[in-house]
Amino acid sequence: MNPYAAGLGLGLVLLAAFVVMGRGLGASGAFTTAVATAVHAVAPHHAEGNAFYQEYLGDGTTSPLKDWLVFEVLGVFVGGFLSGALANRLKFTVEKGPRVSTPARLVLAFIGGALMGIGAKLALGCTSGQALTGGALLNLGSWIFMICVFAGAYALAWFLRREWL
Amino acid sequence: MSAPFYKFGLFGDETSLIVAFVTGIAFGFFLERAGFGNARLLAAQFYFRDLRVLKVMFTAIITAMVGLYVFSRLGLLDLSLVYLVPTLVWPQIVGGLLLGAGFIIGGYCPGTSCVSAATGRLDGMVYVAGMVGGLLGFAEVYPRIVGFAKSTPLGQVTIPQYFDLPYGLLVLLVVLMALAAFAAAEWAEHRIGGHAPDENALTSRSPRLNTIRRLGVVLVAGGVFATFAGSPYRGPFVRYDAKQLALDAGGKTDRVSPAQLADWLIAGRTDFVLVDVRDAAAYGRYHVPGAMNVPLATLTPDFAAHNERVICYGSGDGDGAQAALVLRSFGFPGAYAITGGVEAWQADVLFPTAPNAKAPAAEQIDFARRAAIARHFGGAPRDGSGAATPATPEMPKIVPMPESAAPAAPAPVRKKKEGC
Repeated sequence: MNPYAAGLGLGLVLLAAFVVMGRGLGASGAFTTAVATAVHAVAPHHAEGNAFYQEYLGDGTTSPLKDWLVFEVLGVFVGGFLSGALANRLKFTVEKGPRVSTPARLVLAFIGGALMGIGAKLALGCTSGQALTGGALLNLGSWIFMICVFAGAYALAWFLRREWL
Repeated sequence: MSAPFYKFGLFGDETSLIVAFVTGIAFGFFLERAGFGNARLLAAQFYFRDLRVLKVMFTAIITAMVGLYVFSRLGLLDLSLVYLVPTLVWPQIVGGLLLGAGFIIGGYCPGTSCVSAATGRLDGMVYVAGMVGGLLGFAEVYPRIVGFAKSTPLGQVTIPQYFDLPYGLLVLLVVLMALAAFAAAEWAEHRIGGHAPDENALTSRSPRLNTIRRLGVVLVAGGVFATFAGSPYRGPFVRYDAKQLALDAGGKTDRVSPAQLADWLIAGRTDFVLVDVRDAAAYGRYHVPGAMNVPLATLTPDFAAHNERVICYGSGDGDGAQAALVLRSFGFPGAYAITGGVEAWQADVLFPTAPNAKAPAAEQIDFARRAAIARHFGGAPRDGSGAATPATPEMPKIVPMPESAAPAAPAPVRKKKEGC
């Protein structure tokens, strides 16, 4: 799809979330809730003693998984799958440049994911919850964050050219 | 219309999860359509080969930003109720840089990795696993870095607020900046990526009014309107549905009885604001415990959040009812008046009159309860003779409620985080 048309669609989804819910979109928060819930199930004392997990476990009256972001991200998986299926783009594959081996690409994907998880928690959001949502609200911290995301990625791009080009 | 719908209680938590799922489907759909399931396409952004990340993100941002502005300015949406992530300068700088590093190393961000995994990419699935690993690690070191993670807080603040700029002007500037960035991106794609702008491009040679050109015209027009139309946060503008106000006032559905308020106060309910609209002197002599003083003449549209339940009272029935009417026309659908004002509160709650000795037992039991409530608020029950009419009480001495009379207080709710 033409990127501007996709952007318009995304913008209207974001606007609908503001009007209906009074909040924007998100992604990383759902994973944090899922991780906190899983840790709580395996090691309840550990999770309850940790200030970070506590913020995602709620008051214990309902399951922390009954959460807006968790359901939204489940929808993202379904929506992505449906769109891919309708366009015949479902395929088991690894996206990488021709000059990098598959195992190396997967190791880099893991490292990138881990950095992203840490960064998103420090910044109180990811590209969805901060850049997109906060960008539209002219939120000061979101714009600082957005500039730093682009700066960080461009600064390292040259070193990683073998992974992509 | 009162938006955000959820914050005005138009639907509950269960329904909100369905809304979340549907919103997510649309979100995931457009991410996939944008090509964001493919890490190579995403990474091409950082080699100036294909700048679709910038195009999609900023088209979405300016569309939603202008839409929000227009809805708010027309009074359809209360922007002050839309959640803003608090600003923490250093954590957001460091977090942003880490996220940028994760983006170019891993090829995705959290949202796009879900789409990638859902369409069968192994690298997307491994990336999600890496994110889970990172979160587990972060939780373990969190107690040691919590000082940094909460440092340099500026609170919930927008750029126009912080730099004291007109909100609308900034809307226009961001739209113009985004359009300039799109033109620059297309130029870079041509020079570095080697593909000339196609017919869908902003800088296409074809004179056709394509999607981005049409959208650009609409958004610039919105931005110009915003520049001259002022702040989208609620100003002193009044909108009301006269018919509805008349129905509420006539049907007394905008009232709360003193006894009901007493029960709420004893139950420790915190889901309402109690407002005394008399002048400061009268408030100083006596006010209902927990009430704040906002004299009728000083009520403004921003004195409380618009989805708050506001209970007003003044002297007699009139003042409180007028305050509730003013607040409802300011866009507080949850504004109520105490029937009979502070005098009714004193007569019914503080100094209830005992029923006749021959009254039925149920009435006697009810009176015992009301007497306990009266003592709790520093009043005293009166016997049936009506001889000893007490003076207006001094500020109340609140005594603990006996178990039987006190409605059970709900446990305080620890709220989950609203942000990401």
